[in-house]
Amino acid sequence: MPHHIAATPPPGVGRHQLLFQVPGTVMLIWCVVAPFLNAPRPAKARSTRNPRRSSLPFGRRFASTYHRAQLLAKNEKQLMKTLKITLLLVLGSACTNLAADAQEAPVTLETAKEQGRIKSRFLKETKAATNATDAIPQANLEEFQKSVGPILKKSCLACHGPEKSEGRLRVDQLNPDLLTGPDVERWREVYNALSNSVMPPEDEPEYALADADRGNIVDWLSGELNKASLVRRNSKVHSSFRRLTKYEYNYALQDLLGLPYSLANKLPPETASEDGFKNSSELLQMSIMQFENYREIGLKALKRATVSGERPPAVTYIITMQDELNKAASVKDAKTFDKTEESYRNHKHQQHLFNRETGKGIPFSTGKWMPQAEAVAGQTPAVSPVVLVLPRSNELKLDLDRFLPDEGTMRVRIRAGRSTMNPDEYASLRLIFSAHTSNNANFSQVISERDVPVTAASDNLQWIEFDIPLSDIQRNPFRKLTTEFPRRDEFLHIHNVSNAPGSEERLNVLIDFIEISAPFYEQWPPKTHTDIFMASDNKGNEEIYGREVLNRFLRRAWRRPVTAQEVDPFMALFAKYRPGFATFEEAMVEVLATVLATPEFLYLTQRVTPDNTKSPASISELELASRLSVFLWSSIPDDELLNLAEQGKLRAPEVLAGQVKRMLADPRSRRFSQNFVEQWLCMDGLNNVTHVTDSSLKEAMQHEPIAFFDEVLRHNHSIMDFIHSDYAVVNERLAAHYGIPKVYGPDFRKVPIATETHRGGILTGAAILTMNSDGKDSHPLKRGVWMLKRILQDPPPPPPPNVPEVDLTDPKILQMTLKERIADHRNKAACASCHSRIDPWGIAFENYDALGVYRTQIKNQPVDATSVLFNRQTLAGMDGLKRYLLADRQDQLARAMVHKLTAYALGRPLAFGDRADIDSLTAQFRQRNDGLGDLIQLIISSNLFNSK
Amino acid sequence: MTNKSMLLSRRTFLRGTGLALALPWFETFAVGGPSPDETPKRFLSVYHPDGVGLPLKSDPAWKDWSWFPRGGEKNFELTKVLDVLEPLRSDITIYSGLSHPAARQVHGHSNADQYLTGAPIGGEGPYQNTISLDQVYAEHAGDFTRHSSLVMSTNGGVGGPRGAQTQSFNREGRPIPAMNKPKEIFDMLFVTSGKDAAARLARSKSALDLLLDNTRSLGRQLSSRDQETLKQYLDAVRDTELKLAKAQKWIDTPIPQVDTGNLHLDAEPKEAKLYFKTMYELIYLAFLSDSTRAATFQLGRENGEGPHDLLSLAVGFGGAHGLTHEVKKPDGWKNLGTYNRYQAEEFGRFAQRLKETPEPTGNGNMLDNTLAMHGSASSSFHLSRNYPIISAGGKNLGFTNGRYLKLGKGNEDNQAGAGIDTDAGWTAKVEVEELPLSKLFVTILQRLGVETDSFGGITGTLTGV
Repeated sequence: MPHHIAATPPPGVGRHQLLFQVPGTVMLIWCVVAPFLNAPRPAKARSTRNPRRSSLPFGRRFASTYHRAQLLAKNEKQLMKTLKITLLLVLGSACTNLAADAQEAPVTLETAKEQGRIKSRFLKETKAATNATDAIPQANLEEFQKSVGPILKKSCLACHGPEKSEGRLRVDQLNPDLLTGPDVERWREVYNALSNSVMPPEDEPEYALADADRGNIVDWLSGELNKASLVRRNSKVHSSFRRLTKYEYNYALQDLLGLPYSLANKLPPETASEDGFKNSSELLQMSIMQFENYREIGLKALKRATVSGERPPAVTYIITMQDELNKAASVKDAKTFDKTEESYRNHKHQQHLFNRETGKGIPFSTGKWMPQAEAVAGQTPAVSPVVLVLPRSNELKLDLDRFLPDEGTMRVRIRAGRSTMNPDEYASLRLIFSAHTSNNANFSQVISERDVPVTAASDNLQWIEFDIPLSDIQRNPFRKLTTEFPRRDEFLHIHNVSNAPGSEERLNVLIDFIEISAPFYEQWPPKTHTDIFMASDNKGNEEIYGREVLNRFLRRAWRRPVTAQEVDPFMALFAKYRPGFATFEEAMVEVLATVLATPEFLYLTQRVTPDNTKSPASISELELASRLSVFLWSSIPDDELLNLAEQGKLRAPEVLAGQVKRMLADPRSRRFSQNFVEQWLCMDGLNNVTHVTDSSLKEAMQHEPIAFFDEVLRHNHSIMDFIHSDYAVVNERLAAHYGIPKVYGPDFRKVPIATETHRGGILTGAAILTMNSDGKDSHPLKRGVWMLKRILQDPPPPPPPNVPEVDLTDPKILQMTLKERIADHRNKAACASCHSRIDPWGIAFENYDALGVYRTQIKNQPVDATSVLFNRQTLAGMDGLKRYLLADRQDQLARAMVHKLTAYALGRPLAFGDRADIDSLTAQFRQRNDGLGDLIQLIISSNLFNSK
Repeated sequence: MTNKSMLLSRRTFLRGTGLALALPWFETFAVGGPSPDETPKRFLSVYHPDGVGLPLKSDPAWKDWSWFPRGGEKNFELTKVLDVLEPLRSDITIYSGLSHPAARQVHGHSNADQYLTGAPIGGEGPYQNTISLDQVYAEHAGDFTRHSSLVMSTNGGVGGPRGAQTQSFNREGRPIPAMNKPKEIFDMLFVTSGKDAAARLARSKSALDLLLDNTRSLGRQLSSRDQETLKQYLDAVRDTELKLAKAQKWIDTPIPQVDTGNLHLDAEPKEAKLYFKTMYELIYLAFLSDSTRAATFQLGRENGEGPHDLLSLAVGFGGAHGLTHEVKKPDGWKNLGTYNRYQAEEFGRFAQRLKETPEPTGNGNMLDNTLAMHGSASSSFHLSRNYPIISAGGKNLGFTNGRYLKLGKGNEDNQAGAGIDTDAGWTAKVEVEELPLSKLFVTILQRLGVETDSFGGITGTLTGV
């Protein structure tokens, strides 16, 4: 069935309703479900109907199919102004009207980008930043009386006046004073409808609005809304005071204690806001369970960061391939072979040990080893002629028996190289840990965080090291049994992940030496310990040294210097604890755990200060440092930021810009790309689909938008690249999925793409298309909603209460094609208001299937991806959608991006009071050519970011 | 009678990690759980590995040694496997046609782990479990008893992934170690003092005092709106203080005195009968003293070769697991049936003991206020379908007993997968319709007073139960 709109609705949901899962929020989208589950039939002209309804909101009115044919004809001129159309497939009889124009080539998307930019309203505004003046703004009622009021009367009153009040709007009753009057929200709707040319309806020529008149109203409204926003700026409804999110808390703890692995898995997941953001102040609640988890996690993390007593002896396994070959070859009937033998042709592609000097070899894939009592880890023995030859997708399985310790880091050192050096081929190593305790009671788990590429040549082997926290991985619970059953052994697998083709001279990984040692410490005591219990001349005096430890720890945890009085209560607590513990450190760790449960560690504070007379009040430099680090690093500030803030130097424009640059160059800024993109695009959705069975594909899908964002950010490309780019950021797996040739290896990189790939930008990313599918086919409704919410910042309104049932027994409905069914549903009055806004966006995505693969046919029928927006704009598939957005909606796209990034940066929802600031930021952003890097700088230096 | 608000489990302090209160508590304190003035509602699940005997109708052994009863809902007839439960007929319900959907094509030996969780743990690769039924109930009722739950098995510990030796898994899906030594269980329930716990408690109290002061002083520097946000934190600290006060109360409350006449605290699994009796007696005493209201007990482990596979010694057989492999040998079905019969007998004895004990609050007998389940995650050989389940008691919770409930469709005579003794059985296509066992779990949770409409990803209750 090619056109599945939705899977079976969950129990408890009406047949016509679909539980539409946007990660973190569950919203009910009213739509047709079941009728789409049947086979389509060829399109044919349908009877007309007039679904007009008086209660539809102003600006969201849907024009019926009755008007469609006329409208399309009439629209030609307007359409051609902005885009030329080669091929316009339009449903129904209307398509013939446009056939005559079908020959002309459309502008390229790059040209559309340039042409669209010129239209920007933000670029025309030359007035100074609106927030520069401190004068109290006044409403411009004069202009309203003079021109705006009369135009509204002429063009709008017939439908929105005393006779009829469509959408419950009466323009004659709106208070023209936006600054003090109650109708700001209504005026905002009027503004949106007029500026997006949604009103007056195209099919009401007698009420048509001249361009100049429209301009008058839009300009006046824009100014008045701006002033109204400024007036309300000081009465902001949302605060940025909030606790850290789960992921921020995790990073903060990692950075504070120097522990590289995740610590906060125990915390419950965060709820996402309507915008998709998980750092939104309104939603970050605190409960007793949350609080108790913080205390437990904090203590546990501190205990892992600190040590006591002597360095524990390490268990060390040493495996040299020389020894293994000797052992294997000395067995009776050993299956050795020689390079000179005919059979070597077969042997050489199998996993084996090989003496590169003598040409002797023997098959080898597993064995059992014991720790060596005298072994010293970290040695560099001479390179051996004997290597393990490990082909693609093969593994060496090491039985380590039961001697690995319970805790601490296991360091695995492998000396390896490549057999061939073709740069298009890669090979990497992965570690897997397993046990097989009894029949059908087994597990195996990848324990290396990422595959490590082998890059060295065979004559110059390299060291590859893995550090694995032993207490964090699944272990064999029976390893300490005194009896032999269930089995106690634990296995480490060294796996070759590669794209090597099966040619005669294959890329294999060569290994001559393996060392496994645990617990492994770079130094003793480890740095994580000495970072807390640092060297000091006062170590002998617990009272003085305790204060030193606390001073240092509190400053970093609270992101500010602390006074002696603030340290006092913690010293008092230490005094209480001390008798219960053998050592200073053990007692102090309990006190430090309490620090990690204080609100100043868990929350992003903004203090009220007496000298804050300016309004809205500024945050302090220290608060700025925290806001900055949470924005760009999802974590606490480092010493450099703290020092600058303490000295009062951070806010100086050139210092701040320099710090932002430094922070973005730091690897921690990858957290920003990841967390922002995942939340902005609602990537959690990908975790809720089950039809991507190839895990490497799913991983690649998941990472692509993040890698793309990162590319745009680091090169300060225009954010219009998110809509379309002539490059993609892919790895081998994803390139294969997209049909982009010659991309090798697991790393993501920027590659140029041809038009035929039908990619570029993020809209055509496989993740977006896949998560907005129903698991079997595309899902135009989900895709449409996603566009409106994530890209256009124009979320559809909540569904109406009186949704009609879909008549599933109607054979006519069952015979319709997908598009017909959607159109049919849209034509139902109660559904029209939303669906006329949602569906066309989603239908334009129809050339992409449930895995985001480009297609031109669905079950031997050509794909029909052409749709008409509510403002009569035709979108000819993805190309048409992109062209339209780039040519006509750049301001909306830019403003949406500013909105999303600012909401994320502030960690709170934006309100009407922020409107003027967002507009002003957008204007500056557009004037600076839409560069993403510039936008980050602009946001950070903005009033908004520096205010409470 | 202890005051309701003063009750709190001491388990945290037995297992806790220092300052932290370790278990995944929900905010039952704030919303109020069951009142101690009400009669306690109790839950027990007993798990036995390796399934039951399920011969084909054409097999002469079918008449006597097929585990499932024959006949209708009320007029069912027990075979020799379960006839030991005849005296309790009006207090038990037997179910067929239930299983966890995700496990239906996974080898039965992997599935003890998911019997009480319904998690899709699969048969190999990475392993993740979810919370078990008893622990959901323990979250609800556990704060009102000294121990939130009692987790026991004959083998003890957690076992391995897909080779569980515990039936209980916490909110994160981690196994909760089971106790298997009667002496240790007895000491924990009725002897242990709380010295370490008291020290930890004192430290926690001091830390909370500091945090309250610290928070108040921060609050004074915030805007009034931000103070409102911070109030949530303050409330969380105060709630934790309340919890500590209740914990203190448990430490100060004397440990109950119980009659130890039926206990053989040194019994080991190879002394099967003594061991069985003692373990059941410990559950009985724990319930009677209201030391806990949730208990699990796993007999043996799946694929139980090795020293712990000795429970069948009680009826004179060497290895319990081997019995399932030898059903096609002479007397094979009979031998397996005899062992299953013995399991049912011990379970029945436990139920009978509850039935004969008046509820201390005067509300009927103890069995009426206890739901005790007995079952396995496989029926026939390695086949993880049509779980053989018995429940006893629960009259006052809303269970109507004296019934044989045939659920699902297409397998009314329990012949799907019958008679198999090769792995072709468990890998075979699912041909008949079974209902998710989690639906029964939702029914049980609701009747125990937990407000929920789903368990393990399955929504809805089992109708007709």
